[in-house]
Amino acid sequence: MASLIDIGLGGVFHAAIIFLVAAGLQLVFGVQKIINLACGSFYALGAYFGITAIAFANSMGMSPLLVLPALVLAGFIIGLVGIPIERVLRTVYRRDESFQLLLTFGLLLMFQDVFRFFWGPTPQTLNNAYLAYGTANIFGAQVPTYNLLVILASILIALGLGAILQRTRIGRIVRATAENRDMTEALGVDSKKVFAVVFTVGCMLGTIGGALVVPAGAASLEMAVELVVEAFAVVVIGGLGSMRGAVVGALIVGLIRAVAIIVFPEAEILSIYLVVIAVLILRPAGLFGKAAA
Amino acid sequence: MTQEALTSARMARPSLVLPRAHGYGIILVILAFMAALPLVASTYVLTLMVPFFAFAIALLGLNLLFGYTGLLSFGHAMFLAIGAYTTAAMTSKLGIMSFELILLTTVAVSVLVAIPVGFLCVRYTKIFFGMLTLAFGMLLHSFLFKFYGITGGDQGMRVLRPLLLGMEIEGGKTAYLTGPFYFYALGLLALLSFVMWRIVQSPFGLHLKAIRDNEQKAAYLGVRVARMRLYAFVISGIYGAIGGSILAISVGLADPEMAYWTQSGNLVFMTVLGGSASFAGPVVGALAFIILQDEVMSLTQYWRFVMGAILILLVIFFPRGLTGIADSIAARFRGGQ
Amino acid sequence: MGVLLQANNVSKHYGSYVALSDVNMSIAEGEFISIVGPNGAGKSTLVNVLTGFLKPTKGSVHFQGGDIAGIGPVELGRRGMARAFQLVNIFPDLSVRETLSVAVASRLKRIGNPLRSLRRDGELQEAVEDVAAVFGFSQRLDRTTRTLSQGEKKLLDVASAFALQPELILVDEPTSGVSTADKHGIMELLVQAAKRTGVKGIIQVEHDMDLVARYSDRIIALQSGKVLADEAPETFFRNPALISAVVGTRTPVVAERRRA
Repeated sequence: MASLIDIGLGGVFHAAIIFLVAAGLQLVFGVQKIINLACGSFYALGAYFGITAIAFANSMGMSPLLVLPALVLAGFIIGLVGIPIERVLRTVYRRDESFQLLLTFGLLLMFQDVFRFFWGPTPQTLNNAYLAYGTANIFGAQVPTYNLLVILASILIALGLGAILQRTRIGRIVRATAENRDMTEALGVDSKKVFAVVFTVGCMLGTIGGALVVPAGAASLEMAVELVVEAFAVVVIGGLGSMRGAVVGALIVGLIRAVAIIVFPEAEILSIYLVVIAVLILRPAGLFGKAAA
Repeated sequence: MTQEALTSARMARPSLVLPRAHGYGIILVILAFMAALPLVASTYVLTLMVPFFAFAIALLGLNLLFGYTGLLSFGHAMFLAIGAYTTAAMTSKLGIMSFELILLTTVAVSVLVAIPVGFLCVRYTKIFFGMLTLAFGMLLHSFLFKFYGITGGDQGMRVLRPLLLGMEIEGGKTAYLTGPFYFYALGLLALLSFVMWRIVQSPFGLHLKAIRDNEQKAAYLGVRVARMRLYAFVISGIYGAIGGSILAISVGLADPEMAYWTQSGNLVFMTVLGGSASFAGPVVGALAFIILQDEVMSLTQYWRFVMGAILILLVIFFPRGLTGIADSIAARFRGGQ
Repeated sequence: MGVLLQANNVSKHYGSYVALSDVNMSIAEGEFISIVGPNGAGKSTLVNVLTGFLKPTKGSVHFQGGDIAGIGPVELGRRGMARAFQLVNIFPDLSVRETLSVAVASRLKRIGNPLRSLRRDGELQEAVEDVAAVFGFSQRLDRTTRTLSQGEKKLLDVASAFALQPELILVDEPTSGVSTADKHGIMELLVQAAKRTGVKGIIQVEHDMDLVARYSDRIIALQSGKVLADEAPETFFRNPALISAVVGTRTPVVAERRRA
């Protein structure tokens, strides 16, 4: 029983992280109809920057208990890098999707060397944070409190995002632009600004996700592409353009990974691909998908 | 040439509008140049050219998929790896040294892989196709990396120099690579590029272009869209695998990094650099890339950054690549006369 | 004269929304039929069902004796029906010649051998040039479709459908977006093309009642998914209630009907 809780919560933790990135992807896709292959790079960027930020904060004598909010802040700050990147991406909005894919792929490549330049080729970790938060006893299993806090944070962010989209004026504008860009432009909305905001928020979700995962894992050069494939799995399973799909997809992917790590470590990523393939065969639009392939 | 015809020629992708062997003519020039190169070039330059032949072949396949059928694959490197590992397994594990036999087996293996993978992937387009192929490429990489009992893991698998036309070659590795193997690989490039030219000039090739331009309309004109895409995928896989085989022999090793996404990225970069709208584009791109990579790598270890930046600039300003730039210059020159 | 296409008691429901209700119609060899009706009447749905793209919720559609529910575009073409679209539907980067060649290559089954030459296929090129001649594209064969005018693109779409040499062709608003001066030219072209390429029946969806009056053998009027009338133009235009249901209150001048 205890180990089930352990695995389960481990999976939910991973799902919480990956949901953030997937939500960013879905938001950007829903509004701008582009898939950002560089989402993985933002994730990695958040992770690396998070480590640097904490190291800096520690040297300033920050309490280890503030690591989580500090990471969220770090993720938020570095997510602003999305603003100039969106300006670049703007040049290919109206063009064929292949160009968008190629451009974001170029970003993916560039970021790889940016990471190598600033942080070197070996994985970086941040282990003391975990210890500071200790563990909690959930039905007999000793679960890292940090994981629980991250799950909570992710839920809060999800709810906050949902509230903003559903209840605020800017949320309505974003949803309207997603439905029909030309129409909203005709109604006087500056879609350029909307796109800039949406894209940056999407980036931030990715960078925050990356920052939050660091205490539990490491920042490495491989993270970017591994994440692209996982985020893609979430999007395929949950359905392109659906936030609900991002939640469900993330949970499924997170749990599969958690189980696979224990049962057959070699097949960890394999199992995700297999589920993706199965979903594509049985229900190509995903569980909640609006867009057909 | 009338002004009207010029305008449409300038605006068009290279099609039957431009001079007949426009695309293949460039290839012939390159082939002739490469054949004469050993007379003047240093050994170093020649060793750089064999990977070029390999990439050129692989790219002709990739561009059938991208430039002609409209499907952008981010996992094409998986076929390079398939070709490499098949060659490695046959030479160092099974002791089969005949290159002809190795090539045939490589083709067979690539077909066996391309059919199911292609079957799954071609039902989707654009984003999904790109992501699926990325996933399959990484799947293969992960398999090659983790199952080190079979594949040698990150150490890779050795590739021994095979017999060419049944003949044992004297001398060491360099003599092999800059001599008989150089010409053999060049010959393969000549043959395979000719075959690809025939393919794209055929009704089959035309149907692929129709799919690229408007798949719905193509279907209403009798084009079997999914089936044609699958054929294109399999052919591209064959070309990729043959390229991989040549590459593995020139390096002497088959390793998992050949299937890594950055390798697929290299291939895509080369295609865009050369220009996907032209038949010779990818080959030009391969050559430009080999030279560029050599130069950039000697200047900085951060060549991926440079490459990514160039890719972005190409996409924004020169989407038709080097051959597109050449076309524009040529058209302006012709217009001025 | 044989019946080419027959729709029997066809209904199409989308959940609770009824797009088509109990539609019966047929077209025989040699006939030119116009489908008319206000927007939202179900014309597009009917066309999609008649071309086998959509399966009827109830009833059946038979073409040349075979049930065509949901058969898809390629099979449709193989069986002898072709379709041209309302919105311009072309291959932007292919030339006129190549566009027509796509259809001819399918018809002549030239796809089996990926190594055969397109350019040197005499039979294929001749067929392409024939269709081009019928539609007036002979001087523009090597123009890239992207560079043609809207009207020319529309015409090419129709021409490529004819290049399949179908028994029955379905054209969706062939003259929409075309200037009034050219409209009659297009209709004449359609009729001539059918004669010269051996097409045995034409169904068109049209809004221009003058054209409909002049060229159709029969008019099928749809309203709210139901067939309101299925009559020859003379009878159709004598009924003001019918006309207003379809068009509005103005009664068009019934010019001398053009025999197909």
